Amino acid sequence: MSVRTILRASAVAVLGLWAITAAAQDDAFVFTPQWTAQAQFAGYYVAETLGFYKDAGVNVRIEHPSVTQPAMSRLRKNDCQATTLQLCQALEIIDEGIPLVNILQTSMNNGMVIVSARGKDPLTQKGAKVGIWSVGFGQLAICMSIKDNLDYEWIRFAQNMNLFIAGALDATLAMSYNEYFQLAQAGMDVNDNNVYRFCDHGYNVQEDGVYMTRKYYAKHSDQARRFAEASRRGWEWAAEHPEEALDIVMQYVDREHIATNRVMQRLMLGEILRLQVDRESGQREFRLRPDMVELASSMMVENMMLDREITYKELVP
Amino acid sequence: MRRIVDYIRRKLSIRVSLWVVLFATLIFIAALSFLFLRARDAVREEAVSRATQILDKTSLQVEGILNRVEVASAMTEWLVKRHPGNPDSMFVYSRGLLENNPDFYNCSIAFEPYYFKNWGRYFSAYSKHAGDGIRTIQGGSDNYQYFYMDWYLMAKLLDRPCWTEPYMDLDVPTNTSEMVSSYCKPVKDDDGNLIGVINTSLSLSWLSQTISAVKPYPNSYSIMIGRGGTYFVHPDPAKITRQTIFTQTIEHPDTALVALGHAMQRGEEGMKQMELEGKDCYVFYKPLGQTGCSMAIVCPESDIFGGFDYLRRAIIMIVIVGLLLMLFFFIRIITRELNPLRRLANEAETIASGKLDAELPDFQRIDEIGQLSHSFSNMQQSLVKYIDELKDTTAQKASIERDLHIASEIQMGMLPKVFPTGGDRDDVQIYASLTPAKDVGGDLFDFHFRDGKLFFCIGDVSGKGIPASLFMAVTRSVFRTVSAREEMPDRIMESLNKTMAEMNETNMFVTLFIGVLDLATGHMRYCNAGHDAPLLVGAGVGTLPCDSNIPVGFMPDWKYSLQEAQIYTGTTIFLFTDGLTEAEDVGHNLFNMQRVTDVATEALASQDQEPRQLIARMTEAVHRFVGDADQSDDLTMMAVQFINNTK
Repeated sequence: MSVRTILRASAVAVLGLWAITAAAQDDAFVFTPQWTAQAQFAGYYVAETLGFYKDAGVNVRIEHPSVTQPAMSRLRKNDCQATTLQLCQALEIIDEGIPLVNILQTSMNNGMVIVSARGKDPLTQKGAKVGIWSVGFGQLAICMSIKDNLDYEWIRFAQNMNLFIAGALDATLAMSYNEYFQLAQAGMDVNDNNVYRFCDHGYNVQEDGVYMTRKYYAKHSDQARRFAEASRRGWEWAAEHPEEALDIVMQYVDREHIATNRVMQRLMLGEILRLQVDRESGQREFRLRPDMVELASSMMVENMMLDREITYKELVP
Repeated sequence: MRRIVDYIRRKLSIRVSLWVVLFATLIFIAALSFLFLRARDAVREEAVSRATQILDKTSLQVEGILNRVEVASAMTEWLVKRHPGNPDSMFVYSRGLLENNPDFYNCSIAFEPYYFKNWGRYFSAYSKHAGDGIRTIQGGSDNYQYFYMDWYLMAKLLDRPCWTEPYMDLDVPTNTSEMVSSYCKPVKDDDGNLIGVINTSLSLSWLSQTISAVKPYPNSYSIMIGRGGTYFVHPDPAKITRQTIFTQTIEHPDTALVALGHAMQRGEEGMKQMELEGKDCYVFYKPLGQTGCSMAIVCPESDIFGGFDYLRRAIIMIVIVGLLLMLFFFIRIITRELNPLRRLANEAETIASGKLDAELPDFQRIDEIGQLSHSFSNMQQSLVKYIDELKDTTAQKASIERDLHIASEIQMGMLPKVFPTGGDRDDVQIYASLTPAKDVGGDLFDFHFRDGKLFFCIGDVSGKGIPASLFMAVTRSVFRTVSAREEMPDRIMESLNKTMAEMNETNMFVTLFIGVLDLATGHMRYCNAGHDAPLLVGAGVGTLPCDSNIPVGFMPDWKYSLQEAQIYTGTTIFLFTDGLTEAEDVGHNLFNMQRVTDVATEALASQDQEPRQLIARMTEAVHRFVGDADQSDDLTMMAVQFINNTK
């Protein structure tokens, strides 16, 4: 199975019917983060809890995905009006013919890493079995594997780091705000010797942003703008009050019965907030950077993940 | 504090009691420390043995059911490999495994994508207990892509049977979750290619209950962690599946806990002593078969050593109370035993105050205190007797002193008291002084006038005190007697010597200088019997030449030599005894002849050679030299100044 086929399959599975965007069944604006409750979405929880959405005149309801109803599935069934996506995922979906609009960009840096087993440098493991999320996210890693002639054998996994911990994998992809800390929490020694950070090797492509279909946006641009503003306000408040934001995150975590803990969520929030600061300006800019869109798009075209270049203008409102 | 120390210093009973109790305490500390140390080791060994047995027993229980799962999976694999091309059989095998093992949670016989073309991408014969029966369905779908699941991938990638990390299994039809661990066995075709995986799951609720129930001590608890360190059994439900054994060490580094976690992850068996949540604990750990999980029993030290600590506290309390009681009774007993001593002390005070006839108590005891009382009584009697004798002696001494005083007065009365001065005579001036070292002395001087001549003498009897004074009195009397009829000093000396030597039973002697000065001419005849040569203080200061004659009193027939000298007008003849030259200061330095000459020279220079002034100067000089030192010898000086008035 080729790389392109794998990615296509996952994208189609996720968004096959997403193009059929219908109006909300009621006046509620349902927002679905792409993962279960965690500090990765702290700004949205803060905005909902502290009434920022209400202040903005948007009746937002946050509904998390489930095993039987992933985030994209909820979108395509019109169960939600907006979701978070990584930039590379958004490019793939647009390439499939489903126009999307980025209404809020939170991430300004890439947080993906490769972690090798103890004492091994990821760049020396040619042909190694490397874990990759079955739901996508790994586009940059695939580009890097091809470009650097590492020829990794990608092993798609559904859930967590157990395969890597059990020794079934030589290395695994991880997010610096999530799995990276999970590995540390599992007693693994993760350090500069066995960790490869994509952002430090010319692959600094933005990740999380809030997307909706262009069709929906065309009809509800004002609502989308107000939602984005309130969400941004939530993130800024979280950056200024991280411990209080963490309290709010833990309420969502407990409500959703997520198997995590405050320590992990504190680490995650800290890293997410760090990734939101642009390296060059040192500011939380909350904007898509055209250069990063161009970098991601050209790399994916070069590695045949996209049929054509997706431009910055196609993403912004 | 100082008052307490002073009080203790005054109380022998308290001091002795404290010493005894101190030594007893040291002995108790040494003995009990040894006892507690050994007892603690024994308790620890017992705890290790107990925990190890429990761990072994639990491990055996767990391995028993794990083995059943592994055997059942192996049998199913055999069946699958006999009919690999018949998908319907897989449902039967899957269901059959659960029917034969009702305590298993579920079973999947899953195949590689598109292995059965007719079934499409997914084929997983999945069976699970549902109510009283078993539900068997095809479990793969777009929403459950089993070949991305850990249980499938782990067997595939590791290429051997293995147990997965425990996970929450969601049963979609009933929307229920169960914590399970799966035994995954890869199935291969005859060419060795993987065709699928047999997954047999076991609910961990039984395992959790079994492990949670392990409670060797009241406050001990058990934990179970997976390969990733995740808690699957823990007394705090909030930690189960949410935290790993390392979670808290991320923010609060704890090397002991990290070491324990790594040891358990490596599947090691052992025991560690460490602090957990503020309590000192012993942790006993052991892996659970091949599941990758490890269980541990955490036993607080306070539990393991609870009985021991109670016993230790009780013994220490008993010892402390015992020592305090010992101290109390010792003080009481010793105080009672020492009570007679206190009474004796009081009686001694009474006696010391002068009441010598105070009656001493009779303790009727034969021990040391009885002996002391007896000795005290003897001492009192001796003291009374001694005081009486002392009174007599004192009275006798007072009588003697009185007699001596009288003798001194008599002796002084023998010496001339009136000295001729310029007013009395115009040819000679005389002055003399005698200061005895004791009440009475052995020095003498005398002078009288006869026939225009001055007869004078100065002497020093050997020894001091009464014998010397008596010898001196006799010498002076004989001198007066003999010089009353004899003019020549040598004859006076010989006569005196004969008389003294014949009556000298005690072998005493006297040095003596006798001079006869013709007051008309200044011609002086003299005889010296071993006495210090006089000084002549006139035109200058010089010593009168004297022959060597033995002192008076030794040899009755000794012939003493006669010497003569011309004394010029104004010249003072200064005579003295060795009490002057041998006067000592506090450093036992002697006044010596040189100082005598110096004082005489100074007097001459000051025109103070007149007898009274010369002797006053000499007396003042010798007193200044002697200072606070006691007078060691009689001191006698006599000065005779001749004035020729015939010119």
